[in-house]
Amino acid sequence: MPETQVTTALVNDVPVEVGPKENVIQVARRAGVEVPHYCWHEDLSVVASCRMCLVEVGETKPDGSVVMGPKLVPGCQTPVKPGMVIKTDSQKVKTSQAMTLELLLLNHPLDCSICDQAGECYLQDYTFKYGKAQSRLDEPKVQREDKYHIGDQIALFTDRCVMCTRCVRFTREISGTAELQVVARGSVEEIDVFPDEPCNNKLAGNVVDLCPVGALCSKDFLYKKRVWWLKSQKSVCPGCSTGCSIEVDQNENQVYRLRPRSNPLAQGNFMCDDGRFGFKYVVDERRLKTPTLKNSVAANGAASRNGNGHANKDLADLVVADPWPEVMKQTRERIKAAVKANGSDFAAVLSPMMSVEEAYLLASFLKGLDSRVRLLLGPVPVAGANDCYPKGPKGEAPATDKTKFTIRNEKCPNRVGVEMVLKHFQGAVVPLEKAIEGSSTINAWYFVGGYPQGWVTEAIDRAVGTPNLLIVQDIFPSPLSMRADIVLASAAFTEREGSFVNHAGLAQSFKAATRPIGEARSDGRLLSELLERKGLYNAMVIRKEIGEEISAFKKFGGGDLGEYGISLMNRQEVGV
Amino acid sequence: MTSLNGDNFKPVLLRRLGLPNSQTLNSYRADGGYTALTKALTMQPNELIDLVKASGLRGRGGAGFPTGMKWSFLPQNVNGPIYMCINGDESEPGTFNNRIIIEEDPHQILEGIVIGCYATKATTAYFYLRYEYGRCYRTLQKAVDEMYAANLLGKNILGSGYSLDIYLHRGACAYICGEETGLIESLEGKRAWPRIKPPFPAIEGAFRRPTVVNNVETMACVPHIVNNGAEWFQSMGVPKDPNNARDAGSYGPKLYCISGHVNKPGLVELPLGVTARELIDKHAGGVWKGRKAKAVVPGGISMGFLSADELDTPLDFNGPGKAGCLGLGTAAVVVIDDHTSMMDVLYNCCRFFAHESCGQCTPCREGTAWSTKILERIRAGHGKLADLDILEEISASIGTIPGTTICGLADGAAWPIKNALKKFRPELEEYIKSGRKSESPQLVGAH
Amino acid sequence: MSELSEDTKQKIRDHFVRYPTKQAVTLPALHMIHDQRGCVSNKAMREVAELLDLAPSQVNDTLSFYGYFRSEDSPSGEKRVWVCRSLPCMLRGGEELLAELCKRWGIMPGQTTPDGKVTLELAECLGACDGAPCILVGDELSLRMTADSVEQEIGRTS
Repeated sequence: MPETQVTTALVNDVPVEVGPKENVIQVARRAGVEVPHYCWHEDLSVVASCRMCLVEVGETKPDGSVVMGPKLVPGCQTPVKPGMVIKTDSQKVKTSQAMTLELLLLNHPLDCSICDQAGECYLQDYTFKYGKAQSRLDEPKVQREDKYHIGDQIALFTDRCVMCTRCVRFTREISGTAELQVVARGSVEEIDVFPDEPCNNKLAGNVVDLCPVGALCSKDFLYKKRVWWLKSQKSVCPGCSTGCSIEVDQNENQVYRLRPRSNPLAQGNFMCDDGRFGFKYVVDERRLKTPTLKNSVAANGAASRNGNGHANKDLADLVVADPWPEVMKQTRERIKAAVKANGSDFAAVLSPMMSVEEAYLLASFLKGLDSRVRLLLGPVPVAGANDCYPKGPKGEAPATDKTKFTIRNEKCPNRVGVEMVLKHFQGAVVPLEKAIEGSSTINAWYFVGGYPQGWVTEAIDRAVGTPNLLIVQDIFPSPLSMRADIVLASAAFTEREGSFVNHAGLAQSFKAATRPIGEARSDGRLLSELLERKGLYNAMVIRKEIGEEISAFKKFGGGDLGEYGISLMNRQEVGV
Repeated sequence: MTSLNGDNFKPVLLRRLGLPNSQTLNSYRADGGYTALTKALTMQPNELIDLVKASGLRGRGGAGFPTGMKWSFLPQNVNGPIYMCINGDESEPGTFNNRIIIEEDPHQILEGIVIGCYATKATTAYFYLRYEYGRCYRTLQKAVDEMYAANLLGKNILGSGYSLDIYLHRGACAYICGEETGLIESLEGKRAWPRIKPPFPAIEGAFRRPTVVNNVETMACVPHIVNNGAEWFQSMGVPKDPNNARDAGSYGPKLYCISGHVNKPGLVELPLGVTARELIDKHAGGVWKGRKAKAVVPGGISMGFLSADELDTPLDFNGPGKAGCLGLGTAAVVVIDDHTSMMDVLYNCCRFFAHESCGQCTPCREGTAWSTKILERIRAGHGKLADLDILEEISASIGTIPGTTICGLADGAAWPIKNALKKFRPELEEYIKSGRKSESPQLVGAH
Repeated sequence: MSELSEDTKQKIRDHFVRYPTKQAVTLPALHMIHDQRGCVSNKAMREVAELLDLAPSQVNDTLSFYGYFRSEDSPSGEKRVWVCRSLPCMLRGGEELLAELCKRWGIMPGQTTPDGKVTLELAECLGACDGAPCILVGDELSLRMTADSVEQEIGRTS
């Protein structure tokens, strides 16, 4: 009879399957057992220096007896083999945990009340679970200078630091920029930067997330909100085609910060500072906050009160309760009239900022009116070359197989997804720039923007001219919105729900974290109304429809794309 | 072979001490130097490893690991370079044996290094020397230059086909560089934070290549073993304990450093196993000023203390451990007379380790600093009896509980505390109860 | 204007053949610079980093770990005197020697006399316990010292 192969380890007497190359912390985590740790992080080299994760391990002998090792071992540094016996709750382990915490807290200030990290601090959490209530230090605590010079976005509260060196390792191993260093030795050592060389690389903000305590803080978020008031929503960063999974942290409809959400299929555990701090446009003063109609039969001489910089009358004054029903009615009617006049002279420009669902709704509406309606891909913003990390000592890019993080030069989240929709509806992707080369017969336009920056180039402006119909669905005013017949004030990414397909074909869904600004409406909602669909806009429902209708989106069939998203194609198909 | 212990013993490593021009190649060769190398180069590397294994030579740097076994841990059929690092970072308080043999007889060590490198197939040796040994540095550099000129180093040594380079590498005042992986990190140009093990240096050491790290005195023994054989080496010292299967014996001559309150501090060479009492009375002229010894450090301060009634402890690899100390360490004996306060001694030890803690592991970084602060307060006259319990707990968490830190420095920092509390607690309690203030000056200065 | 002379830079580069990585030349390079100037300035660290393909912070990280290198804010005086205070020297008057030198020279450990002649440093075990109390001047050890013999050694009268 073949012997049964042991494939499990025992964590506090509970058997757990052992995966390849897993350490004690990871295996215990799957058993639901927390092994407290500070210095270990799955993306960084193992230093095993905080000594918080010390556990006891042993092995099961062939006769079934268990022999425990004589030493405490760091869980982070100890690979788990089948048959291993792990104890994380023995008296020896508990004593060690309590003492390590007492030592870490010896000179740690009791300033939780003014510390940004309070509420999500591993010193607080672990001390509560594994520590002692009191310190026996009888001497004055060592006080150290705060360091606001660490980076444009980063402050170091030096005496809160536990010297886990995660931040230093991050800048050496992930960003490769190596700005952070340890200075001095022993109990006087500190984290610092080289004089006049602050930590301002484009991944720098990650060191704030990596810091397990309140030492490294984000200046942008500093003292703005206690973290326990924040509500998190799962989202996807629209800053580039990497499509980092993120959390949007908001309170009372105000976004306070973005944080990377771990996603092995998308970007890993980090995000770039362009994305992290790039959400401010969502609450920009200049946002389009109300819809507007020009030359409307409904428009009378009421005074404008909108802040959009438009000369047009503001419907909010006319239809006090809600301008949208009239706007949507007219939008629908005028599109239909224009398409009826000549479908092939009607063009809709779908921006790569749109979600798959939004693109699908607009495309299916227009193609449903007349298959000759032309669907164009809006400008795809590209800035320079892909920015790959870790950088070499002279700032050079890493080899492809050594790349750990890429900020992509395509500064939009969903070119791939929108192109897939366009291909379905008209077989080919025609970029706007191409369509306006030379003379064009288009005399009715429906533009969707949604870009954080201006996108209407002089060429676009000239080519559009003064058509019979100009509809602009956007978040910021532009030369086109200034003269548009209809402006549909739409929503930024934190205000919408839907899905993006990243550069590699990974489709990820995102949820709305905040309500749209002013009277603006989420694109999904206003497009649903354009189609006179029943009920509230629900991206999941639309995804199911898309999954049935478009073969390339077959995997949308279930509607739910899960925590990490779903890969829609292999890399060749995406063309990367 | 008859035992060379006792009166039959003649100095081996120090035999050329004080001879005129003892540092020069000519003088060394005139005394038979480099015959061992010539002989070794005719042997197979594995034969040499077996010979060193058979001799029972154990590392003289502090840990006492069998040298031949260490060499045999290198992987077979290595592609690419193997490195040897010579640990000349001797910094353990009380220890100066390497300094003297380097200054007086550098070729003896260098010959051992070349033989060791040949045996381990190393092609580059880095001699890591603590910065403070400037004279050693210049002596060694001169000796290495002589060797290159005489084809004892460089390409095709003595026509054997074997090539080796030796580079001197100076430290910069950090005790932790004496820890072998701290040394490797320092050699690589980084802060000397000891590495986690595994991988051990034999598999992944300097520059992530297979590496052997050996102490200076250890290498000085090698030419003599090649010349005189394993049996000769085993005729000195203390044989294996037949009742202890794990005992590797304490063979060969050993350099004992004697310092502190004795009439004649200095370096003596004796077979392993001499007692502390014999060292003090017979070889160091007795305790100074007609006083008595209160405590004796058996092998550098990290080993802890022998009390006055433990002075008959043999200073071999097992003796100090049996008396509750950490081990033989560097065999640096520091004698403390009965007029000295153990509180001052303990403070001095704790301050040393707080100053030298590399700062990597939490328990050592924080624990050494905390224990120093407590002792500062006690010495300022503000001690409490409960402080002794906290000190005991700190010593347990920084070292005496195995596995709490990456390297052995923390063990070394813990042992003096543990020993002082165990062996001198009444005196420490009396000190605290008396509310006495230390007279010795407290100077706070730069790092 | 470069802080390191071309000669020094070349001496640093000459060390590259000894090690498989350039980073390993960090300590030799820092010693060379310190020997010349009694300190390693920030600019010099940048130039070393440039030579060794490192970030300046990596050089500073290493440098600051060791007790030896002084910064540009407080370069070493003409003579640098280290007084050992570890146990064997303490037992034979090392601390008293240090206190006496502080008194005579009017400076604390780590400081330099106003005339820039002497820098006094605390040392942990210098490895000359057979001659306790001992001192290190530059990189030469002197054994069995008194305050008078220290002053004689460095050619200074109080």
